Amino acid sequence: MLLEMKHITKVYGSLYANDDVHLTLEKGEVLAVVGENGAGKSTLMKILYGLEQPTSGEIYLNGALQRFRSPHDAIAKKIGMVQQHFMLLNPCTVAENIVYGREPKKHGLFFDREAAVRITEELCGRYGLHIDPRRRVGDCPVGLQQRVEILKVLYQDADIIIFDEPSAVLTPQEVNELLRTMRKLAEMGKSIIIITHKLHEVMAVADRVMVMRLGKYIKEMPKEETSVEEMSYLMVGRRIVERKVAPQKTTGTVLDVQDLVLAGSDEKNILDHFHLHVDGGEIVGIAGVSGNGQSELIQCLTGLLSPTSGKILLNGKDVSGQSVGQIREAGCACIPEDRYLWGCAAQATLTETAIMAHQYRPEISSKGLLSGRNTRAFTQSLLEGYDVRNSGQGQKAGELSGGNIQKLIVAREIEQKSPLLIAAEPTRGVDIGAMEFIHNKLLEKRERGDAVLLISSELTEIMSLSDRIYVIYEGRTAGEFRKEEASEESLGILMMGGKLHEAI
Amino acid sequence: MKPSKAKELAGQIWRALRQPLAAAVFGLLVGAVVILACGQNPVTVYIEMFNKSFFTPYYLFSTLTRATPIIICAMATGMAWRAGYINIGVEGQMVTGTFAATVAALYIPGPPIFVGLVSWIAGMAAGALYALLPAVLNWKFQVSMVITTLMLNYVANNIASYFVTYPLKDTSGDGLALQTAEIAEGLRLTRLSSTSTFNAGFLIAAAVVLLMIFITKKTVFGYESKMGGFNSSFARYGGTKQVKVMMITMALSGAIASLAGTAEVFGLKFRYADGMLSSTNYAWTGLMAALIADLDPAGMFFVSIFLSGLQIGGSAIQRSLGIPLEIATIIQCCITLFVSVKLVFRFTRGKARREEAKGGAQA
Repeated sequence: MLLEMKHITKVYGSLYANDDVHLTLEKGEVLAVVGENGAGKSTLMKILYGLEQPTSGEIYLNGALQRFRSPHDAIAKKIGMVQQHFMLLNPCTVAENIVYGREPKKHGLFFDREAAVRITEELCGRYGLHIDPRRRVGDCPVGLQQRVEILKVLYQDADIIIFDEPSAVLTPQEVNELLRTMRKLAEMGKSIIIITHKLHEVMAVADRVMVMRLGKYIKEMPKEETSVEEMSYLMVGRRIVERKVAPQKTTGTVLDVQDLVLAGSDEKNILDHFHLHVDGGEIVGIAGVSGNGQSELIQCLTGLLSPTSGKILLNGKDVSGQSVGQIREAGCACIPEDRYLWGCAAQATLTETAIMAHQYRPEISSKGLLSGRNTRAFTQSLLEGYDVRNSGQGQKAGELSGGNIQKLIVAREIEQKSPLLIAAEPTRGVDIGAMEFIHNKLLEKRERGDAVLLISSELTEIMSLSDRIYVIYEGRTAGEFRKEEASEESLGILMMGGKLHEAI
Repeated sequence: MKPSKAKELAGQIWRALRQPLAAAVFGLLVGAVVILACGQNPVTVYIEMFNKSFFTPYYLFSTLTRATPIIICAMATGMAWRAGYINIGVEGQMVTGTFAATVAALYIPGPPIFVGLVSWIAGMAAGALYALLPAVLNWKFQVSMVITTLMLNYVANNIASYFVTYPLKDTSGDGLALQTAEIAEGLRLTRLSSTSTFNAGFLIAAAVVLLMIFITKKTVFGYESKMGGFNSSFARYGGTKQVKVMMITMALSGAIASLAGTAEVFGLKFRYADGMLSSTNYAWTGLMAALIADLDPAGMFFVSIFLSGLQIGGSAIQRSLGIPLEIATIIQCCITLFVSVKLVFRFTRGKARREEAKGGAQA
């Protein structure tokens, strides 16, 4: 037994984030810890990595009791963590990032850049993870940045490597590459813990699975003895039904984007003659690797950015270059991709969060004066109608969990009752229950005959909800599919900038 | 009001007040150390100090009189800061507005009611325009508002200084003081006490507080500016007209600032004297009050009175016990410091909580 965590309990206020949790790990094993958001997986890993102190419970390494007061202690005991949000210095090279914190020195004083490159090359060779040590990290795609994170942990000589939601930002191809890397590391004798809620990844890579729910240890089993169905049942505590979306008739074009160009700082366009159209009564998905112009597209459509050229026709009226207020007025609501940046203010109360972009409706205000009673009633209807768990309207938005604040934002935007809804990453980082709920609300919007534009980096989300799918690559429309024609492989190839040889 | 609602309100008041109260206690403790170093007993000094600021009618009136411009300056600061515009030019806006109001009162002929009304409005307009200048510079050229508002303080003080030194100097007395002539009797604010200078300016300050509460709680403008202050990306995404909100915010801030000095001239000094608004540090004390009260209007009102009391009591103990006046300044600054500790503390805690929410420790 390499690692053993016993009776781990972590209490925040009155909330048991971990409640008497056990975890064991053998040498050379891949252990998957699965559970919904809020199940306490991350807390457990933070305790193991020394970022949090357990309220009670013990950690044993090779039978010896440990106390990790900080990540330094954990790293000293050869525990490493690949963070979900990369902790890299973008302006520096790959090699500089890898040796950062334990740099090779020249004459005991100066940083030895050449030695850093040699060390990196040697590491890459030993583990078969290839990357150019002299490349700037900021220029690397996300998959390679993650590889730098992994190499960093290996440079620290970790024997236990924790992966926190490692596939959240990757393309399908990059995910496969990552899973292969993990297997390889395990074969070389490293022990790996992967935290995830993507169950097909668990099936692909893990030796053993441990399920957590609401801070509690539920069950663990060897991968061979379980299935995706059993795991999702254990995670959620109930059966999730496979979604069947019935086709329906569309009702004429609501959004028509023609030849949209947004110039970048160099000669390359961020949006390069992009086009798409969305009809009433359909959900149109945009698939693509993050950073291929999706954010800018959303900002152009909603008026946060002014496009260089091209047309954005909303119900036949060109709204390109108009202000956010005018475009919202013309009938566009938007679930923003980053809920903490665009979707809310952490210090704002739930009431204040709920009435954003509703504040000029006659029911909410007249002659510039807010109606206290109506704002409260409206907020209450959103909170109840969308199952937002809260402790009163005076609660601050930043105090809600990710899934709950997202439900409130979704509620606010759907209740604009606009002909067009842009849903950008509507379920990023929310648990399965909230995800199912939000998906149902988007489908209801579609059933009412409204147009929904769905932008998501989760291919499964795009494929299960959309009637039509566009692929965006380097700001161009790289492909268009009807739901029946699309497959994960064909979308993935186009997302990476490839061509479909057996073209339709 | 239902009992549960009353309880909730009491809880809100307690949450709003506990940090400033704790900071005040710490500030007074630090002050006690300094008093001990001066060889005096802190308990007797503090008793004397608070007696001569809050608990005897004459000194209480002095405290409230001095609090008047501080309260209004705090509101002017709060108006801009809560919307995310760091206006530290309240002093300059106050000087410009006050000087315009005084000049109007001196040189416009007509019945007192008319002249009074025109003077106050002229003062507010001048203060508002002076505050709009940095706003326009920020909008058109992205000039940092912190720098422009700060620098424009010196500009306003020196221009006013020029006018009272040369063209508008009062030559009726010995001709040595750098000040304007006195405004007419009919324009002066009513005295509210026969034994002191306490005057209707305080009621104006109270009215400004009520106006501020109304704007922040009840209006769409108050809502939009608050959201812009919390997270300007959120406000922009929600379709608020940010340029308009910025202009109205700054104009209101400047107009309110002008009232502070105008009330001082029309209620207390009756003339504009060189440096009268800058040497007294009204704007900066108001800024401290705004910070301590976390920009809450009612809180700013009480904190302003408290700080004013510290200053009045501080000069009283200097006279009677020989404790230097600076002791009051030290206490005041310590309180502000301890409150800013709270701000940093809350910021880091909030950050930890956000990461928690992302990481998923919350159900």
